[in-house]
Amino acid sequence: MRTAMTTGTGLPPLDFRARPAPLTATLMLLGGGVGAISFAVVLWMLVTEGHASFNTSSDVAWGAPIAYYLFFLLASSGLSIIASLDTVFGIRVFYPIAKRCVWLSIITLVTGFSLLALELGHPFRMLWAMPTGLQLQSPMWWMGVLYSIDLVLLCIKFYQLHRGDWESKFTHHLSVASFVVCILAPGTLGLVFGMMAMRPAWYSPVMPMYFILTGFATATAFMLFIGSLERRGPGIAPEVRVLNDEVLPRLFFLAALAVIAMRVGQIITGLWSNFEGMEAHWRALRHPLFYVEVCGFVLSLALVSRAAWRASPAVQFLAAVIFMIAMFGARLELLIVGQEVPLFKGYWAGYTDYWPSFTEWMLVPLGMGMFLFLYGGGDWLLRLAESRAPAPR
Amino acid sequence: MARWGMVIDLEKCTGCQACTTACQMENGRLPGENWQDVLFYNEGAYPSGKLSWLPRPCMHCENPSCVAVCPTRATYKTEDGAVLIDWERCIGCKYCMIACPYGVRFYAEEKQKTQPDVRKVWPSDEGRIWDPPWAMPRHQQDMRKGIGVQPKNVVSKCTFCYHRVSQAPKGTPDLDPDDAKTRDYTPACVVTCAPTARYFGDLDNPESKVRKLIAEKRGVRLNDHTGNRPQVYYLAGEAAAIPETRSVRRKED
Repeated sequence: MRTAMTTGTGLPPLDFRARPAPLTATLMLLGGGVGAISFAVVLWMLVTEGHASFNTSSDVAWGAPIAYYLFFLLASSGLSIIASLDTVFGIRVFYPIAKRCVWLSIITLVTGFSLLALELGHPFRMLWAMPTGLQLQSPMWWMGVLYSIDLVLLCIKFYQLHRGDWESKFTHHLSVASFVVCILAPGTLGLVFGMMAMRPAWYSPVMPMYFILTGFATATAFMLFIGSLERRGPGIAPEVRVLNDEVLPRLFFLAALAVIAMRVGQIITGLWSNFEGMEAHWRALRHPLFYVEVCGFVLSLALVSRAAWRASPAVQFLAAVIFMIAMFGARLELLIVGQEVPLFKGYWAGYTDYWPSFTEWMLVPLGMGMFLFLYGGGDWLLRLAESRAPAPR
Repeated sequence: MARWGMVIDLEKCTGCQACTTACQMENGRLPGENWQDVLFYNEGAYPSGKLSWLPRPCMHCENPSCVAVCPTRATYKTEDGAVLIDWERCIGCKYCMIACPYGVRFYAEEKQKTQPDVRKVWPSDEGRIWDPPWAMPRHQQDMRKGIGVQPKNVVSKCTFCYHRVSQAPKGTPDLDPDDAKTRDYTPACVVTCAPTARYFGDLDNPESKVRKLIAEKRGVRLNDHTGNRPQVYYLAGEAAAIPETRSVRRKED
């Protein structure tokens, strides 16, 4: 990947003349291959068996694809927030990654929506039924509207940065609007879960805050991961070195710490409460995903806790990957916990027992493949390392 | 305009599940996907074990959370009080299934609960989940009201047998299966109930039997704290009690 800082004025929109860096080409090939194969498998299963190839049921309405969708959409909002640290708040240290963050935000959003489309019964019907339905009482309606606006604003913002317009009033106002929407959208997604009084394990006014925070933490892990892959050594701009070696690991540490603090609060509240339905939290203790989540969060935090460790690209890579796996587990665990206690099924029905099916698991390489392919493509053709000229100090 | 509602007398209900079977036959339900179900609860052990049951149709709430959350307005409430689904608008997001406090909504695209898989025995060539020989006549099925055999990839639910009830003459206070004039308009589960534990009528009509039963026998609604205000009332009687509602928690858990 290229780390040189340039500005894009005068360059063609898509830079086909440049050859992709070896790592970029590898990511694209790997992502494209894995994505295509897994998409073919998922498509085959959906055509032959329909959604019966998922392990969802009338008791567990929302399955793993919703968790994947949460993972990518919330990461998208977090990445947009990181981009805004530069473009809205003018924090100079984030200049070198602003454009890359906007691109990442776009592609995670597209990946999340694509995974959601495979889960919906009639995804294309949504295109006309939601605008004509205009159900303002539905948090899901608002979520759809806000994320659609988010995608449009991000695309325009990326176009502005790509054509080298970092400083104009229009770009600034656009960035402010994008920042506002990237806070509202995950907040509304939090309400989709948090407003469900009939699902006590989800019901919480804090859920929007939890979603925004965990999305931001996931985004810091994404950037730490990408930073760890970048070239080190002489010839690298000092701003990039400071960002990758010092700022991002610290930001990741703080975000992970905040996530852990919030999760501890949620877990203790859940275990203490005697309210019907909250026993799901006790049952979660028996679930392997709970330990994936807890161990992953703590381990990744520990890895970046010492200055000497966190400057190492290998440690950054490891911490970021572990955190992303833990967050992935946390999203899935959230889905399961909220539906563990069935509604009105009687004693004889017992608790629900859900684990993703083969088809549902295949959506993971599909999503990751799609993400890597789009990221590699952007890194090759769209000059993601561009930044605005550093202000005089 | 009537506001249809149901009263279920738990002192008379024997838990025989004839209502479940009648609903299955009337509405072409898949085995295990019962719009009308009977839930069972047991406590204690021999010789003092207690078995109780609760018949549970859709509550057709006055203030239905499923309607509020539906992003496409596929789920809606009719003027005469039924909560229905427009299968041509439903996108299969299943948010209504998450938001219904009574667990009475179904998405039949799942692994079949019983064998053989009847969907393969009687496959549909019209995009329905299956096509049993006893399916409701086509002219009675209505996609815009969620009536008939469920199509693929949409959510379905009890309609209060709207294809029958909506045909009742205006001003009818009660739909009584024992009255030849109203029997054909009465929901299948009410018609079939052998111990006559079910009553169906206009909740807004002070002269209706359902209204009188609710008043005289202290009819109660399930999970009233949710604010959904069901239009299905239960008569628990002096000695009986409504079983614990949603929880499956037991001491041994």
